[in-house]
Amino acid sequence: MPFISKIQRQSDYTLFSSATPIVIDNGASYFRIGWAGETQPRVVFRSIVQRPRHKATGEIVTIVGDHDPSLMKYFDCSRSGPRSAFDSNVVYQFEMMEYILDFGFDRLGATGSEIDHPVLITECVCNPIQSRSKMAELLFETYGVPSIAFGVDAAFSYKYNQQHGVCDKDGLALCPGFNTTHVIPFVDGEPIYKGCCRTNVGGFHVTDYLKQLLSLKYPYHMARFTWEKVDDLKMEHCYIAPDYASEARLFQARKGSSFQSKCWQLPWVPPPTEEPPSEEEIARKAAIRERQGQRLREMAEAKRSSRINELENELHGLEFLLKQLEQVEDSDIPSFLAETGYVSRQEIESARIKVTQSLRKAKGEPKSEQAETEKPDSAANEKYSLINIPDDMLSPEQLVEKKKQFSLKSMSDGRQRMKQKRYEEELERERKQQLEEEKRLENPELYLEQLRAKYKDLSEKVEQRKRLKTNGDHSNGNNLSGGIGRGERLSAAQRERMRLLTTAAFDRGKGEDTFGAKDEDWQLYKLMSKDNDDGDEGPDEDDTELARISSKLQDLDPTFVPKSENGSSQPAEASRVRPLTKEDFQIVFGVERFRCPEILFNPNWIAVDQAGLDEMAGVSIRRLSCKDKGLEQRLTNSILVTGGSSIFPGIIERLEAGIRMIRPCGSPIKVVRALDPIMDAWRGAAEYATIPQFHTQTFTRMDYFEKGEDWLRSYQLKYSL
Amino acid sequence: MFQKKAVNDESLFTMLMKGKMETEVVDAELVLPSYLSFKKVQMYEKYPKGQARGRHWKHLKQIIQAENYQNYPPDEPNYVNIESPPSMHPCKKICDITGFEAPYHDPRTNLRYANTEVFKIIRSLPNEYVQRYLALRNAAIVLK
Repeated sequence: MPFISKIQRQSDYTLFSSATPIVIDNGASYFRIGWAGETQPRVVFRSIVQRPRHKATGEIVTIVGDHDPSLMKYFDCSRSGPRSAFDSNVVYQFEMMEYILDFGFDRLGATGSEIDHPVLITECVCNPIQSRSKMAELLFETYGVPSIAFGVDAAFSYKYNQQHGVCDKDGLALCPGFNTTHVIPFVDGEPIYKGCCRTNVGGFHVTDYLKQLLSLKYPYHMARFTWEKVDDLKMEHCYIAPDYASEARLFQARKGSSFQSKCWQLPWVPPPTEEPPSEEEIARKAAIRERQGQRLREMAEAKRSSRINELENELHGLEFLLKQLEQVEDSDIPSFLAETGYVSRQEIESARIKVTQSLRKAKGEPKSEQAETEKPDSAANEKYSLINIPDDMLSPEQLVEKKKQFSLKSMSDGRQRMKQKRYEEELERERKQQLEEEKRLENPELYLEQLRAKYKDLSEKVEQRKRLKTNGDHSNGNNLSGGIGRGERLSAAQRERMRLLTTAAFDRGKGEDTFGAKDEDWQLYKLMSKDNDDGDEGPDEDDTELARISSKLQDLDPTFVPKSENGSSQPAEASRVRPLTKEDFQIVFGVERFRCPEILFNPNWIAVDQAGLDEMAGVSIRRLSCKDKGLEQRLTNSILVTGGSSIFPGIIERLEAGIRMIRPCGSPIKVVRALDPIMDAWRGAAEYATIPQFHTQTFTRMDYFEKGEDWLRSYQLKYSL
Repeated sequence: MFQKKAVNDESLFTMLMKGKMETEVVDAELVLPSYLSFKKVQMYEKYPKGQARGRHWKHLKQIIQAENYQNYPPDEPNYVNIESPPSMHPCKKICDITGFEAPYHDPRTNLRYANTEVFKIIRSLPNEYVQRYLALRNAAIVLK
C-alpha cells in the first residue's frame, strides 16, 4: 500500500536548530511534514478534518486525519462528515487548514512559543493569490514562522528524479494528482508555467466513479461501499487498459467466465439449513396436536351436554306449567301466570315448541327437512283457510286475518321458489364440473392449456378494469405505477361527478330558470348523489371466476404462480423468496477495473470537457510554442509520470502509445514513472531546502508586508540553484 | 494578564475533558487539543465559542472571480488560463451500464447501451437509477 499514515508524535523536535527548514507537502489527499535533508517525512496523514460530537461528554471536538476506525465509535459523526481544506486543488477553507497544520506541527513534536523554523510548503500551479497570501498570513501570524517558500509539488518531484538520473533537464512532468492532473514542461531544469495545462480530473474522481458504479450495480450492498473501502479496491484492482475498446471487447466476448474479473467476498453467513424433522419429532408433534384436539373436543362436548341439560330443565318446567294450567280455571289463568312471566297458554305452548326444537338441534338430531317441507303443504289449507273465501262473506276481523294470510302465503311461496332455484343451480354447477372433469381426463394437456389461456384472458380483463378505475381512461400502460396529480387520482366516474357538480353550481345565464321543467332534469341529482364509484360491487363474476380458475390451476399445475395483486411487485417478491447465497455477497469487478481509471484519459465520460492525459502532453508542447524541433524531441524523450494516480499498472504503456499518436512520426518518445510517484514531491522539496542558497528563495514577514500583493503574485521559486 | 488567564482556563478545560474521555481515546491522542503552545493565536481566540460567524471563506469560483485575471496580460499563466482545452478526439461512447462500446442510444431514457440484453435491463430500471446513471456523465435531469 502506497498510502500509509504515520502519526506518531516525534520527540526530537528540540534537537533541530532553528535554521533547519520544515518541509510540508500540502497535498489535497495527504499532508506530509518533515525535516529538510531527510529522506522520509516524519508525519503523514490524510488531509481531512472531522468535527464530531463526543458521545460521553457531548462536547464537539476536532479530529484531524484518519484514525483507527474502532475508536470512532465514541464519537457521533452523523452531523458532519470529513471535511477538506481544498476546493479542487486550491486551499480555500483556512480554518480547516489551520487544524491540519496544528495537528502536523503537534505531531512533529513542536514545543516553545512559536514555530521557529523556515517553512517550505507546496501549492498548486498558479495558485490564486488570495489562497497564497492567506496561507502566508496564517503561517506568519498564527505560528510565528520566520520565513516561507512556496513551491509546486510536481516540479519538486521532477527535480528529484532529474537528480537521480531518471529524467533530463528538458522534459515533461505528467502529474495525475488527487483532484487535478497537470502537465508541466521543463526547459533547462526550470518549469515553464506558460506551457503547462491542467485538467480537473484526478484520483478522487476515479474513486468516486467506481463508488457510484458499484453502488448502482449492487444496490443491496450500498452501505458497504465507503469511500475508504472503495479507495482500497481501486488501488488493488484497477489498471489502465492498453486500448480501452479492445479490452472491453475481450471482456464482452468472455462474458460469464471469470476472465480477468476480480471478486470481493463480503462477509456472508450461510442461513441455518433446516434438517428434515426425524420420525420421533413428527410423532411427538402429532401427539401434541392430537392431545390439543382431544381437549377441544372435550370442552365442546361438555358445553353441549350442559346446554342440553339446561334445555331439558326448561322443557320440564314448561310442561309442568302446562299441566298445572289444565287444573286451573280459565278465569284464574292471568293471575296464575302473572308470576311466571307468560301471558297466555298459547305463548307457553310456542315456547315449549321452541325449546324442543333447540333441544333437538343441540342433541344433533337431524331436523327432518322432509317433515318441515311437507308440513306446510298439509297444513296449508287450514293455515290459509280464509284466502279462498270471497271478501263479502267475511267479518272485518276475518278480512284483516285474510290479508295477513295473503302476505304469509306469498312469502312462503317465494322462499320455496328460491330454494328450488338454488337447488337447480347446484345441479347445474355439478354438471359443469363433471363436464370439465371429463374434458380433463380426455386430454389433460389441452385442458391445461385452455385453462391457462382463460386465466390469462380473465386476469387481463380484471387488470384492465382496475386500471380504468384508478387511472381513468389513460390506459397507456406507462403510468401503471399510478400517475401524479389530482386528475390522475380520480376515476372516470368520479371525474364525471365532479364535472356535474361544477356545472350545476354554475349559474346558467340570467334568464329564467327552466330547471325542473322536464323530468330528466331531476336525474342529475341521482347522478351526483354519491360517489358511486367506490361501491366496489363486491367480488363480481370475473373475479370469482378468476379465483376459481387460479385455484384449479394451482391444483393441477405445480409450476403455476398466481399473479399478485399488482403485477409490478412480482419480481421483488420472487427475489425475497429466493434465499441469499454466497454469490449474492460477491462484488465482481469486471470492466470497472479499467473503466474507472480510463476517465484520466477520457474526462468527458464524467462530463469534464477537457483533454485527457495523453492529449495534454501535446497541448503542453503546443502552448510552449518553441520553434526548436530539437527541444520538442528532447521534451518527449523525457516524460516523467508522477503523482498519486500514476501508479495504475499499464499507464506508462498507454501514455507511450497515446503520445506517439499525437507526435510526428519518428519522434523519440520515452515515458518513465517516477522513483516513488507519491513521496518524490516531498523528497525533492526536502532536498531542495538543504541547498545553501535556499534562504534566497524564502521571504519573511517583513518582505510580505513591504513588497505587497503584486510581488507575492509574481513570486516564483527558482528550482535550479 | 487577561490573556494568561484565558490560556489557563482553556488548558484546565482540556484537562477536564481528558478526564471524562475514554482512556483509549486519550491514549491515541485522537482529539486535537484546543491549546497548543507553539501557536501565537489560539483557535478559541480566533473563533470564539458560541459566537455566530458567517461564512468566512470563499469558494474557488469566488476566489477566481476576485482575482480579476482579465486585468492581466493573457500570455501570463494564471489559474484559469492553464486549464486544458476540450479534447480534439471524438468522444468514445460507452455503455452506461456495462462499459462496453455502445453503438445504440435509447431515446426514452437517454442511456447508451451495448446490446439487447443491456437494453432489457435499462428498460426495467426504475427511473431513479436511470437518473443516477445519467448523473455520472452529468446528463441527468436536474430540477431546480
